[in-house]
Amino acid sequence: MKDIFTDLYNKVLGFFRQTEKTEESAKEVACNRLKFVLMQDRTNLTPELMDRMRKELIELLSRYVEMDKEALELGFEQEGNQMALMLSIPVLRAREEAEIEATLAEEDAKKAEAETAEENSDETDSETEDDAKETEENESSEEEAEITETPDTEQDESENENPEETVKTSSKKAKASKK
Amino acid sequence: MTLTCEKVIEKDNKKGDIMSGRVIVITSGKGGVGKTTTNANIGTALAKAGKKVVMIDTDLGLRNLDLLLGLENRIVYTIVDVVEGRCKLRQALVKDKKNPNLCLLAAAQTRDKTAVTEEQLKEICEELKKDFDFILVDCPAGIEQGFQNAVAGASEAIVVTTPEMSAVRDADRIIGLLEAREEIKSYKLLLNRVRPSMIKSNDMMSVDDVVEILSAQLIGIIPEDTGIITSTNKGEPIVNDEKSLAGQAYRNVARRIIGEDVPFLDLDEETGVVAKVKKFFAGLIGKEKQ
Repeated sequence: MKDIFTDLYNKVLGFFRQTEKTEESAKEVACNRLKFVLMQDRTNLTPELMDRMRKELIELLSRYVEMDKEALELGFEQEGNQMALMLSIPVLRAREEAEIEATLAEEDAKKAEAETAEENSDETDSETEDDAKETEENESSEEEAEITETPDTEQDESENENPEETVKTSSKKAKASKK
Repeated sequence: MTLTCEKVIEKDNKKGDIMSGRVIVITSGKGGVGKTTTNANIGTALAKAGKKVVMIDTDLGLRNLDLLLGLENRIVYTIVDVVEGRCKLRQALVKDKKNPNLCLLAAAQTRDKTAVTEEQLKEICEELKKDFDFILVDCPAGIEQGFQNAVAGASEAIVVTTPEMSAVRDADRIIGLLEAREEIKSYKLLLNRVRPSMIKSNDMMSVDDVVEILSAQLIGIIPEDTGIITSTNKGEPIVNDEKSLAGQAYRNVARRIIGEDVPFLDLDEETGVVAKVKKFFAGLIGKEKQ
């Protein structure tokens, strides 16, 4: 008999605890809404712009690591007087060296194409066109040099093979940017 | 408490005869959060503590500070009269009924915000600094020219807000604007209309929440008090009521402005019958769990 009563008591108590947890208090709602709206006010970034930033970041970062695109978290956090842009990226898998180089080379090729297209449309003078080609060659060789450097860092990353590793980056942004 | 207060004043007075008053602007962004009430009470409390205080109402067209002080019938000249040369600055200062240390420079009720410029307000503040310890500038609501004018002559600011979302958001905007102005050396937060019971039941943001969100230094926590309404009706600031908790909180703010280290009031009312009953049941549940 006693056991039945204590069991019932615990169940009733548990029920009340559950409802307490699931329902956010008015204070919590206010705090969360305020933090979100102030983030927009302070940075002048609308939800659309944040979404765009998120997409661009995913595009850029997935050249180097394979990550969980859905779980990527991007937001502003306050640390005392400073605002920090917090980026949390769950890494699924480190990419192969060759894979990274291939994607980077592809990107560079695209860039070079776009540049030449621009120059061709802008400039009609044959002399300046020659000059442009020269500088272009110089630039592309510099870029190649940069690419050869990257595999070193990538190797370090592939060493720790924890697939669900989270990379946290923060870039500080002065609060004074509020108008 | 008043004893320690007087000691500090004596020390300050001995420093020298040449006055260089502190100009403090009281602002909020949002209207109706208690800027003018705060101004009237801090000003009165500072004067009661022996400081020479002048309050400037810069809310042209919507003046109210005179009402809260009960001085509405004594105003002859306003700040616009001073600026336009119809009277001298000293002539326009209205002395308080009770405290000769307290003066008011009233706003004009018939003119708009453009009647006084930033430069003119700066000049007035500089002139008043010579004769007063504190110049409190009552700022109009909003972030337009009226705000810019009020801030122009000040080097310190008190941002008044309440634990409500819209007030906190506007306070954040004001803080951003104050930070952008070089002449403002420091700003402090005054949290008005705090309801301890609502905070306790998690229905309202707590003092800590607001301070964390705005990341500003706190100078006062004023509890919601119906006495504020009656004191306004009588034209007598609530700091004159020794029994009022809000009055006590405002007196503490004044002491902090002077430089004293005063702990914040404990607003938890855990002495009532309800609290006792609650405690009794909390004890019962605790026993049963064991």
